[in-house]
Amino acid sequence: MKRLRLIFQLSIVAAAAFAGVRYALGKSLVSVETYCPFGGLETAWSFFTRRRFSCAAGETNLALFIALIVLTLLARKAFCGWVCPAGALFEWEAKLARRVFRRRDFSGVWPVPAKVDRALKIGLRIGALGLVLVATWKTGELVFRGYDPYYIVFSAHGHDVKAWSYLVLAALLALGLVMPMAWCKYLCPLGAALWPASIAGRLRLARNEHHCTNCGACDRNCPQDLPISRVGELTSGECTLCLECTAACPTPKALELRWSGVPRPKGRR
Amino acid sequence: MKAPAWIIPVLVVACAAAGVGGSRLLVAPSVVHTYAQAGPTADARTSQMVVEGVKCVDTAERAVAQLNDVAGVLKCVAYASRARLDVTYDPARTSAAAIREALEAPVLVPATGEYLFGLYRVIEMNGEKIADVDE
Repeated sequence: MKRLRLIFQLSIVAAAAFAGVRYALGKSLVSVETYCPFGGLETAWSFFTRRRFSCAAGETNLALFIALIVLTLLARKAFCGWVCPAGALFEWEAKLARRVFRRRDFSGVWPVPAKVDRALKIGLRIGALGLVLVATWKTGELVFRGYDPYYIVFSAHGHDVKAWSYLVLAALLALGLVMPMAWCKYLCPLGAALWPASIAGRLRLARNEHHCTNCGACDRNCPQDLPISRVGELTSGECTLCLECTAACPTPKALELRWSGVPRPKGRR
Repeated sequence: MKAPAWIIPVLVVACAAAGVGGSRLLVAPSVVHTYAQAGPTADARTSQMVVEGVKCVDTAERAVAQLNDVAGVLKCVAYASRARLDVTYDPARTSAAAIREALEAPVLVPATGEYLFGLYRVIEMNGEKIADVDE
């Protein structure tokens, strides 16, 4: 499953890069924005109040955003772990940094205390989301483009990408080296928008205390740095179902994927 | 209830397919403009044009404004995400070819008084390809 996820990520990163370069060269009318679900959220207000789309956003963005909410209600932030090209890049960077700095886990060179981590995840990320949405709804422009690492990387120097956009990207990458997945954890507005649905998400990782040896391999291999070994069922809205924990777990049946809230069939224990 | 790991990629693919397929149900325009000189007409015709250069609401509005002085153009509906313009016109007073010519004409930038050349190019008309995107 780990290999399949990598294939998913590589394919989507390659497809986004290909689409971006083709659009930049004038060989296609389909830009990298066409399939970004966050564009759907940005244009939702305009669509539902005026039946118009904002800026370059269109029906594909909105439909993908609605589908993404459904996916998140079922499989939590699987989009972030399996689909998002920016998420893939930051995850690969985190894995690289882990090797370079010889860290055992993904807490990074600058581990963030749990309380600060929670405050940043709620305050900073929701603040970023609110700012982007209000600015987009007020101006009718996709104001976030110049700061969006996905757009900066994959648009091949697209519209609204300026010199400072690359400085923003460089700063985010530098931050990601010392604070793994900092963008995804603390700044991504789409992550903030998905968070409530992810908490309600039905597909969850559950730890079987009878089989678990408390070795902590799951905690160390979680790119989101979630405390899997300390909970019975992982209810955190940050879980991307990347299954790095189950792949690292040395004990069969210690970590299982379960439909939360769905009773077991009769006759089974 | 225990769930197999393969359910995750299956759900991801199913939701992506539903999103792309379901987009047909959410079609809405970026710009709708009815021209002042429209007037009544008995036999209006609509041409669907895919126009290179229509990328967002701003560029769509500019393309729509290119038809301001074309007599017989009644209405233009722009779909920026599809680079598409649906132009309704009176065939007795103008033609699809004249509309195409007006769209592809140099664009005046009022702020600077400059003309921009080659901003728009009609590459498809009523489902028929006229030119390649990169020509």
